[in-house]
Amino acid sequence: MSSIRVNPYPMPDLLAAIEQLQQQQTNATLELATGSSINKPSDNPAGDAQLIKINDLSSQVDSFQRSISALSGQFSTADSTLGSVVTVLQRAITLGVEGANGTLSDTDRQAIGVELKGIQSQLLSLANTSYQGQYIFAGTANTQPFVVDPSQNSGVRYAGNAGTNSVTIGAGYQLQVNLPGSQVFNGPGADVFQAISDMITSMQSDTGMDTAVTELGTALNYVSGQQAFYGNALNQTQSQQTYLSAQSVALSQQQNTVSAADLTAVASQLANDQTAQTGALDAIGRLPQTSLFDYLK
Amino acid sequence: MSSLFGALSIASGALGAEQGAMDATTNNVANVNTPGYSRLRPVLTEADPVVENSVTYGQGVTLQKIESLRDPILQLRIQDETQQQGQLSAYNSALQQTQVQFTSSGSDIGSEISNLFSSLSQLSTDPTNPSLRQSVLTAAGNMTTVFNNTANSLTQQQANVDLEVTQAVQQVNTITGQIAGLNSQISQLQGVGQDASALVDQRDVLIGQLSGLIDVSTIRSDNSLTLTTSSGAPLVVGGQSFALSTQTNASGFQDIYSQGKDITSRLTSGQLQGLIQVRDTVIPGVISNLNTLASGLGNALNTANANGFDLIQQQDGTLSPGGDIFSGQAAAATFKVAITDPNLIAASSDNTSPGSNGNLVGPAGLSAVQNASVVDGQTPTNYYSNIVFGVGNAVSNSSAELASSQLLLNQLQDQRGSISGVSLDEEASNMVQYQRAYDAAANVVTTINDMLYTVINMGTLTG
Repeated sequence: MSSIRVNPYPMPDLLAAIEQLQQQQTNATLELATGSSINKPSDNPAGDAQLIKINDLSSQVDSFQRSISALSGQFSTADSTLGSVVTVLQRAITLGVEGANGTLSDTDRQAIGVELKGIQSQLLSLANTSYQGQYIFAGTANTQPFVVDPSQNSGVRYAGNAGTNSVTIGAGYQLQVNLPGSQVFNGPGADVFQAISDMITSMQSDTGMDTAVTELGTALNYVSGQQAFYGNALNQTQSQQTYLSAQSVALSQQQNTVSAADLTAVASQLANDQTAQTGALDAIGRLPQTSLFDYLK
Repeated sequence: MSSLFGALSIASGALGAEQGAMDATTNNVANVNTPGYSRLRPVLTEADPVVENSVTYGQGVTLQKIESLRDPILQLRIQDETQQQGQLSAYNSALQQTQVQFTSSGSDIGSEISNLFSSLSQLSTDPTNPSLRQSVLTAAGNMTTVFNNTANSLTQQQANVDLEVTQAVQQVNTITGQIAGLNSQISQLQGVGQDASALVDQRDVLIGQLSGLIDVSTIRSDNSLTLTTSSGAPLVVGGQSFALSTQTNASGFQDIYSQGKDITSRLTSGQLQGLIQVRDTVIPGVISNLNTLASGLGNALNTANANGFDLIQQQDGTLSPGGDIFSGQAAAATFKVAITDPNLIAASSDNTSPGSNGNLVGPAGLSAVQNASVVDGQTPTNYYSNIVFGVGNAVSNSSAELASSQLLLNQLQDQRGSISGVSLDEEASNMVQYQRAYDAAANVVTTINDMLYTVINMGTLTG
């Protein structure tokens, strides 16, 4: 026999081919179902390692965003609290100017004095404002920051501390998130409690009213200045929020670049594999059903 | 010498030869689906002629032997490739199981590490908040749990692989015993000049199975066969088999012994080698990497916690310095959260400020660990991603090698089939050929019979 003898049993080859095609189809179906070309580390080891890093970065960006949301409540509360302090101080100034008017009787001044005392306790309450159980003007102490203390000139003592906290709201970006109460309310020459206490004393004694009004004015300007800190902080977190959203989008794009399945390619590959499998099955079906034996009758 | 009786003997010789050839064909057809069967072929030769008075008379046909068609060199190559494939296949399928532990799921080690740092970051916005503190402890617990589970699964897998080693050794012993038995029978048959091809086929099948399990080296002498591992440990010598045994080693796993010698590390291929590679190298390597990660991360967070102050007041009214958050970090399996009181998280950077977050956000604080090179010179996430890369890459490489080895083996089997496989068409045509020859020889016998009759009657006429 001169011709090359072929393997009379191609079945194992065909079966191996079909097995391979089935494996490919399983992978393709998984890719289509998950939309991701990396469903286990071996699908793309380097890509998967990169995904883990991207996921960590993206988790950090999420954390920054959640921190910002948590902080904005605190900033708004502080901002509006200081807004109220300013309003209340304005009312005290108005009352002081009224009191300085020589036409008032003692009784009238007593009445104004009562209102001023009300303003004093209002200021104390504002200075002790808390947000979610935390005094916002206590520095980094965890106690009520302003307490009534008759031994003090102003009648109020600062029990907090001068500490400040910063929160990370971006990679390497830390934002100071609080001002200690001592800085906000006991500014040098602009002590809110001293000013209101002096005003009350002046009103009661009908002396030095103008000085007391001036003192209140200085305190008011100073507190407004402090209020700006929180306004700025709010602005900064808002613009950072915008930046982080963009970064988050960029990270998911990176994620897609690394892992997204090319759906068109996968779908057409799947179709090809199915065709090939049909072909292979067909080939098995067409393997000679007969041999020469069938014709020897 | 030429005579009618001589012719009759030639014709009956032909009848015998064709019948023998037909036997070979029948056997081929009968074994068309027998694995490892090598087809038989009758070897017909012309009988030595006789010369008489310068005339040469043929003496008919002899059925010299029925040979079985096999290519021993090809058989060896198939064995080699089967060993290669046995090793790759055991290695790959074990690694496929390993990589399940490292598939991103949202609750894999990488995600849980990120979650812990995320909870610390939330705590920094309100450092005394009890529920934020509690979520840090919860996240830490989730992280250590996934470390424990991953390490335990790997250890469990290692134990399963070890069990497979023992089973594979038993299979090796069963097969070598059978081969030794066949060896004795084959040499007995061949010793008396008989054909042992049926037994040789069976032996080839067994050697093929053995090759899947262990690296086999075959040494053939006249009519005996010696099998050793490639490092020379005897498996079968002629009619005697040498069983492998297992002994528990220091790590509690089974080492493989041959004749009292530990051959575990000297195997070079076959399923056993693949299993041993996974059991003794791959899984311990991954576990060791996880241990490095756990201890780097646990130590760094403990150190960072010690840099700050927790919410517990000491007798003098100051806050106490932070203690360990984690214990057992030397091993991923024992890594756990050592504290249950969320107040023990040292968020503050000074001992008089409970509301400070300085030790969360500071450069030596807890959050800083996330991006610090604390695990073998890498950040925790980068180190983890390298572990996953290592596992994924090993799977992906061995899958590719396995596929190409499979392809090669298929080709070799094809080649074997083209030499040894039974083709029914060929057998049918042979059958026709032998049948026709048999018919013809039978006709010759009839004709000679007639001629003899004529000769005998010729005597009657003259007498």
